[in-house]
Amino acid sequence: MGTRVLIVDDHQSFRAVARELLERAGYVVSGEAADAAEALDAVAADAPDAVLLDVQLPDRDGFAVATELAAGDGPAVVLISSRQADDYGRRVAACGARGFISKSKLSAAAFAALLE
Amino acid sequence: MLLLPVVVAAGLAVGRLGLHGHVSGMRVAADLALSWALVAAALAVGERPRWRRAGWLLATASFAVLGADLVWATSNALWTLGFLLEGLWAALLVHLALAFPGGRPWSRVAQIAISGAYVATLGGQLVGAFVDPNTHDVLGLAPQETVAHTVDRTQEITAIVVGLVVLVLVVRRFRVLGGPARRAQGPLLVAAAVTASSAVFCLGWVIATDSVSSALETIVRAVAVSMPLGIVAGIVWSRLRRPELSELVVELPTGAGGMRERLARALGDPTLEVVYRLADGRSVDATGRPVSLPDGTDRTVTAVTAGGEEIAALVHDPALLDEPALVESVRATAGLVLENERLAAEVRSQLAEVLASRGRIVTAADAERRRIERNLHDGAQQRLVTLSVALGLEAARADPAAADVLSRAQDDVEGALVELRELARGIHPALLRDEGLEAAVEALARRAPLPVTVHGTVGGRLSDPIELAAYFVVSEALTNVVKHASATEASVLLERETAALQVAVMDDGIGGAHVTPGSGLAGLRDRLEALDATLTLESEAARGTTVRASIPCGS
Repeated sequence: MGTRVLIVDDHQSFRAVARELLERAGYVVSGEAADAAEALDAVAADAPDAVLLDVQLPDRDGFAVATELAAGDGPAVVLISSRQADDYGRRVAACGARGFISKSKLSAAAFAALLE
Repeated sequence: MLLLPVVVAAGLAVGRLGLHGHVSGMRVAADLALSWALVAAALAVGERPRWRRAGWLLATASFAVLGADLVWATSNALWTLGFLLEGLWAALLVHLALAFPGGRPWSRVAQIAISGAYVATLGGQLVGAFVDPNTHDVLGLAPQETVAHTVDRTQEITAIVVGLVVLVLVVRRFRVLGGPARRAQGPLLVAAAVTASSAVFCLGWVIATDSVSSALETIVRAVAVSMPLGIVAGIVWSRLRRPELSELVVELPTGAGGMRERLARALGDPTLEVVYRLADGRSVDATGRPVSLPDGTDRTVTAVTAGGEEIAALVHDPALLDEPALVESVRATAGLVLENERLAAEVRSQLAEVLASRGRIVTAADAERRRIERNLHDGAQQRLVTLSVALGLEAARADPAAADVLSRAQDDVEGALVELRELARGIHPALLRDEGLEAAVEALARRAPLPVTVHGTVGGRLSDPIELAAYFVVSEALTNVVKHASATEASVLLERETAALQVAVMDDGIGGAHVTPGSGLAGLRDRLEALDATLTLESEAARGTTVRASIPCGS
């Protein structure tokens, strides 16, 4: 069985292409969430292996969610944003996530590389 | 005005009694001098409504001096009356000194000292009258010399304590008084201090030698004459200020607040403030800053009018109310000149308003920039990102010809995204908002196409306008380095000083830069001036360029 991934992004259209991209590469999308609260509920309910997590969420930012998941020995987190890592300074490295992918550069290979 | 002839006549009558009763001429002269000086002072203070109580004290003391001299009479009844009144004049002078000029004691301690003086004199003499062995004493029902002596000692010791309290209180009062109040009251306070000192010394002498000295009594009365003279001197001294008013008209004001200095000098009140009334009803100082008028009793406000309109208000020491003619002449003379200063203050106030308004415009524009950046990120950027990923997905499963077209389309979308990100950063950098100035400047340095080092620290977050201004200085300067300087490297210095943030961007390029109208640096200068900040450019040919900004940021 492939790696189970939760996709967290407040844009439904992006979640759809991300789902297709991951599933085509053999990942199993365990669920989708549109905000931080839904994401934490989904992690608790489905226990995914990894989370593709958008930085900019309507209720909290992705760094806070990543920090919380890392503290609870949760799934591996890969941050995504339409901005670049440089726009977030040291926060990317400090939040406990496996890494950061700029959304336009999102690919199964880049995702897999960070999960290794 | 009847007071004067009555006291003069009473004085002459009492003086005749004294001389007839073989009292020394010096003593009679001292008593008459004290009594008449007191009544003269009472008449002098009559013109000042707030000093009316002091006037009554002075007049009463004048009669009390003569009343005590009734002991020179041969009539037993008059002798006893004189005995009862002995020392009352001194208690009245204590009252005068510690309640001048309003007539109410300055403090609780002053109130106790005044009460002590009255009890020691009137009460002491009443008790003494019952036990005094003098044959003239019609109240001497139980004459006992020892008891009478004890009463005298008690009175003298109490009087010494009261005298020392008076000395301390008047010295303290003199030190805290300023301007017109010190001018009007100072001479009396000095005289009271001298009189209290001499009284304490003489009473101490009487106790030490256990003998009553007529000469000492004469000396104390002669010294006490200085108190009414001090009051008159204060009034005269206050009036002597008036000729300086001519300076108001002859001299021209010198800059903001020059008129205040001149008025303060003319009125002798260094605490004087001038508040200008603007046409829109606001009150401002000479620099145009809004101020409010005091509503307490420790300051007094006098309106200055010109052409029937209130143009200014003088906020001054209430003691100046005792010199209404002086204040009135200043008010009349200063009107025209103050009108000029008011117009200047109005211009300064409007300038301050314009500066504040420019600051608000910059703040509002920054908020709008932030909103636009957010909209770009949430809208166009998200759609382009999704499109880019979708094109990649389609390219992966399309036939080679279609895949080629889709890949080129994806590259174009990626190019648009890069441009959009740069645009968004230029509008309002997200990193600056989230992480602060140092992180945002370090990111600028990393993205620059030449080596840029960042030095210094700003020690935490600053207000949004300051961080934005500093960020844009660095951003614009680095953009210019890349475009025009032909530099091989650059450096940025951020330094937080006590009251200002210093920002400098230096390069090793060709120099020769200058600020041209409409350029990025000219726009930056406008933004900085709204924060009362400065922007300077050092750029000699072939010696590199340094852009410096100094942005006030409080302490």
